[in-house]
Amino acid sequence: MRFILACLLSVSLLSASNIKYLGSDLQSNGDLEAEFNTQNSENLFDPLSGYNEIMTSINDHFYEYLLRPTAQGYAYIVPEMARHGVSNFFENLFFPIRFVNNLLQLKLHNSWEETERFVLNSTMGILGFRDVAGEELGIKAHDEDLGQTLGYYGVGSGFHVVLPLLGPSNVRDIVGLVGDAWLNPINYINDNDPDLFNSSGESLAVTAFYIVNKTSLHVKEYDSFKKDAIELYPFLRNAYESRRNKLISE
Amino acid sequence: MKRIFTLLLLSLLCTSPAMALEEQNISSFMQTNIDLATTILRDKKIQKTERSEKLFAIFDLIFDYNLMAQLAIGGKQWSSLAPEKQVEFTKLFEMKLKNSYMEKLDLYTDEKIVIKNLEKIKDTRIHLTTHLMKNSEVYEIIYKFYKDKNGSWMIYDVDILGVSIIQTYRTQFADILAKEPFENLLERLKKPDELTPKKQ
Repeated sequence: MRFILACLLSVSLLSASNIKYLGSDLQSNGDLEAEFNTQNSENLFDPLSGYNEIMTSINDHFYEYLLRPTAQGYAYIVPEMARHGVSNFFENLFFPIRFVNNLLQLKLHNSWEETERFVLNSTMGILGFRDVAGEELGIKAHDEDLGQTLGYYGVGSGFHVVLPLLGPSNVRDIVGLVGDAWLNPINYINDNDPDLFNSSGESLAVTAFYIVNKTSLHVKEYDSFKKDAIELYPFLRNAYESRRNKLISE
Repeated sequence: MKRIFTLLLLSLLCTSPAMALEEQNISSFMQTNIDLATTILRDKKIQKTERSEKLFAIFDLIFDYNLMAQLAIGGKQWSSLAPEKQVEFTKLFEMKLKNSYMEKLDLYTDEKIVIKNLEKIKDTRIHLTTHLMKNSEVYEIIYKFYKDKNGSWMIYDVDILGVSIIQTYRTQFADILAKEPFENLLERLKKPDELTPKKQ
């Protein structure tokens, strides 16, 4: 009897240690598996993957060796409050992009709130340096761009494209970027010719300033986010596409 | 004798921890734990290692790391692995998740986290939506629960701003395994900072 008990006991101990890893989890997880299978890389259409991988690593080097040091140097000189102000100023400037795209998606209430924000922040917020509407009245920005508008009307994302300097994108969002560029006030600085391809050096400098300022406020987040990557390209591709889908669905 | 057998049988059935998280308790349980976690995070006197130990003690109860590892590598790949490799992978993956979480702790200042909504997707799935508020911005974090075979609700995925943690790992693992053998993946998981060495 003791022998049988000992056998039973050892069996029970064995199964207790194994069950954690080899239990019946797998069979019952069929639908959990299915939940994640939609984006499996086997059926993912990624014709530019070779180029994308190279461009991802170029962009990564650009960030590591140029953008981040610049942003950190800039952050060292300019206090955080001022940088938030600059960031607010630019976000206020991009009002036309948000306004038009909210309108195009028939989000009339959001367009109205955007207008309120623009008027309030441009006046009481001193040219948009302070986000009065958001802080005092709780009127939040409704970030919409043409890529999201196209997605809203059912345009598929197309394949993934990593842009130089700008990073992850896809066919739909590139079309959106080009469209939004016409609404971006920065592209009209010192420029009487509405042809964007003749865009002046000043516009580029301002855009660079905007990016450095924005990066300086998010250096830690970027770094921590990137640390999660084991393989950078698929990591960023998945994060970008999921995030865009979420934004479109909102 | 019969009693011994019933006892043995019972012990066999109860190999999992006794605590079972019930559906109606998810919101309050999570709110309590989130509050507890933020209190621990705010207490700057606690050492970093001690802090993470305390936090993991909370999260170990509700995160099903084994299932998360299986989902991250994919069912097909998982079942093709030898049992000891499954164990090794699961352990490394759990460490990776925790390390990445610890990194995030450094970023924590005094954001407020509130529970917004609990939605039952189907009989065995619940999504708990929380909002993290920082500098007047709102970040949406969704904890995805499933009902395990003991009837307890466990987290199998976290969705941050629309990006599923498991899906991110899944695409990366699939990409790596398409080019390299499984052993390389294990090696990479062992060296979390290989890809982005500290440059300063």
